[in-house]
Amino acid sequence: MTVVRPSTGSGTQGAGSGTHSGGPGALGGVAARAPRRPLSPERIAASLTLLALLVVGILAVNEVGISIPAMVQSWGNAENFMARVGGLSFPEPGDLAWLIALTVGLVLVGTLLAAVLSVPIAYLAASNTTPGNGWRAAARFIGVLTRALPDVVLAMAFVLMFSLGTLPGILAIGIHSIGMISKMFADAIEQIDEGPRLAIRAAGGSKMQEFTSGILPQVLPSWVATVLHRNDINLRGSVVLGYVGVAGLGLEMSYAFKALNYGKGLGIALVIFVLCIVMEIVSSMVRGAMLGQQKQTRSWMDRIVHPRLRGRSAEPTTTRPTWAASPATAVRRPWTVQRVQHAIAGIVAVLIVVGSVVVSQINWLDFFTFWGKLPEVAAKFWPPSFGSYDATVMFEAMRDTVAIALAATVLTLLPSVILGSLAASNVAPSSGARGVARFLLVGIRGIPELILAIVLVVVTGLGPQAGVIALAIGGIGLLGKLIADSFEEVDRGPERALRAVGATRLQTYTSATVPQGMQALIGHSFYMLDTNIRAATILGIVGGGGVGYYLLNASQGSRYETVTAIVLMILATVLVVEGLAMWMRKVFR
Amino acid sequence: MNAASDALIRLEGVTKTFGSTTALKGASLQVSRGEIVVLLGLSGSGKSTLLRHLDGLELPTAGSVEVLGQQVPALKGRALRNLRSRVGFIFQQFELVPSLTVLENVLTGSLSGVRGPRLGLWGYSKAAKLTALEHLDRVGLLDRAYQRSDTLSGGQQQRVAIARALMQKPDILLADEPVASLDPESSDQVMALIREIAADEGLTVVCSLHQVDLAISWADRIVGLRHGEIVLDMPTTDLTKAEVMEIYGRVATTTAEIAAVTMELAEAASQVAAS
Repeated sequence: MTVVRPSTGSGTQGAGSGTHSGGPGALGGVAARAPRRPLSPERIAASLTLLALLVVGILAVNEVGISIPAMVQSWGNAENFMARVGGLSFPEPGDLAWLIALTVGLVLVGTLLAAVLSVPIAYLAASNTTPGNGWRAAARFIGVLTRALPDVVLAMAFVLMFSLGTLPGILAIGIHSIGMISKMFADAIEQIDEGPRLAIRAAGGSKMQEFTSGILPQVLPSWVATVLHRNDINLRGSVVLGYVGVAGLGLEMSYAFKALNYGKGLGIALVIFVLCIVMEIVSSMVRGAMLGQQKQTRSWMDRIVHPRLRGRSAEPTTTRPTWAASPATAVRRPWTVQRVQHAIAGIVAVLIVVGSVVVSQINWLDFFTFWGKLPEVAAKFWPPSFGSYDATVMFEAMRDTVAIALAATVLTLLPSVILGSLAASNVAPSSGARGVARFLLVGIRGIPELILAIVLVVVTGLGPQAGVIALAIGGIGLLGKLIADSFEEVDRGPERALRAVGATRLQTYTSATVPQGMQALIGHSFYMLDTNIRAATILGIVGGGGVGYYLLNASQGSRYETVTAIVLMILATVLVVEGLAMWMRKVFR
Repeated sequence: MNAASDALIRLEGVTKTFGSTTALKGASLQVSRGEIVVLLGLSGSGKSTLLRHLDGLELPTAGSVEVLGQQVPALKGRALRNLRSRVGFIFQQFELVPSLTVLENVLTGSLSGVRGPRLGLWGYSKAAKLTALEHLDRVGLLDRAYQRSDTLSGGQQQRVAIARALMQKPDILLADEPVASLDPESSDQVMALIREIAADEGLTVVCSLHQVDLAISWADRIVGLRHGEIVLDMPTTDLTKAEVMEIYGRVATTTAEIAAVTMELAEAASQVAAS
């Protein structure tokens, strides 16, 4: 039986095509009758803004003065330098192991702290769970604010409030990471299938039960992936925390460089690099195992997190297992291989978390003494003032930072598009090419930008070039991956259609893949710019130019009101870029 | 039987508007204990909206909704959840939590009876687990208890959803197009299962369908909806498909609808002739 079911409204409108507006135009040619392409003023404005940013970015690249001959020339510096280093050296094996455990431990505890704090914020920020628009706006504001405050700046403040050690680092990571984690948690909540939640409501479940039984199981894999991803970022970021006094490998490295012990400094840098790569591999394996179990849609930001998903089909059960003889025998859950695996994974995860808390040697007493110091320290940070610095110098420095970020983003763009396209399975000419591209992206992503910058500062000398190149290279890892994933996610139908009409691989790419992935591309590029501005601040700390240099000086000279002023300046800039990005995403939807 | 005194469900002039569209227009309906009623209508005729009113998932713009002797729109919080726990709801898309095991999904039907959140199987009592397993056994899926629910076929998932509804120990079972996403064989299984359980437990069932054949053969009574209005309400005994279609024919107004109804009528006529 076939039932023809027209949707009730459509019947009245009939064929509809008879309502042409161009009655007399019927005599003219097709060109005359064709409607004009509609132009929305907002779209034009957004396109012009995009173009202007691109031009400014190219000008910035020019201004920074990256020239190949100069770099080749300065390669001599590097050789001289290497000769002076006289080989790498490492801390004692015992010390090294301890430093590694400490660094990984404090990063993990900080990330977990952020994850826990992010749950309520994400719940309030997600459009489908928020109790009201006021709550939503407040939660989003907390997210944007914590994301805009660089963790280094937070660490500087916390170092003042707590005794030296791991706690300032944990808190800095914990608070700064809320921004990204709560955003991605909220995105995941917004993408759930509402049905199961509705079913629990229909069965009489409370709001809390709707969350724990209907939402949480759906978002958990994506949440864990987010936390692991953030943990990788935080591990790379922990290097720079060492520069402001947070214990761990970063602090050892900064001591070594300050003591002009370059061999040891670079040795520790190498250890950090290897550690980051190992962590990246481990976490991508865990993410793959978790996400492989579940199909789900992904947001533009989620793409950083999720590796490609593989569906897992159900094992066909032909005979009834013995435990399923009756309900009474089935109450005890059978120990299948899968259950054993899950149990072991769970125990290992708990042990790692407990181990991290233990090695971080958190001085819990600080939590009691901290409140006493808070007003005193807070008072030092207020009111903001540039102090001995000239305001124009500060704005100039901020401008430099933005220029560095823009130049780096522009430089990142082309290699990212090329590498990212090659890494997408529907674009790559062969699986081999795709594998190489993916491998390169992971490798690049593993390098902490700071270490890259330090090496480049050594090669090109102090100044913005080092910062720009460091950010541009580091950016390829992130942007390339984002581009690869969004290209892989485009609808494959148009690609097949074009191939069917005889288009070449390149034609299919430019006419089917790129147009569909364009909006994502613009979104990712702004995310990159946003990330680069914050990173550019931090790079200033190691001599990469820009406002970061003044920030570190002010904090080391205990001029806290200047720190506040600079931080507010950075905050304002980041918020402007964030607003611009939101607008672009809306317009080019 | 005195329907008025024994009505578990009583709708009086219920109107529901979403913005400018009217989903229900002055719908009045009474359903007695133990009745098996099918809401019949094309998609967009207001069947789902009507069902959702019975569980307090939608609030009427005007009119009164009385279920199990309580005014549903007036209920809030604990009282509303108590009412919902006595009304089972089966969805077209099953709406199981994909990443949870089948057993946990069934157990979520008992959430209204416990306080606070439940994480994982150990959150539920052994007695609850045993009951859930019994329901699973009843729908023939005991051996799938510890499998993820998204590894089951559509028909199996709908049977899990029925077990979940049974977990609520409901008085009323609502089903919104329970077989619209299933193949014919699974459809038959699921519809038969609902009838069988309804008979065993003495449930009152209100089920929305769009297949006239199925509705006539399955229900005790058919309530036809069109554009949010109830246009037909009669027992299925000595009701033929042609008659039902005729009623639709009399009320069809738009060209497309008349065409659809004409086609249905022709089909029905040929089926009647064949049998």
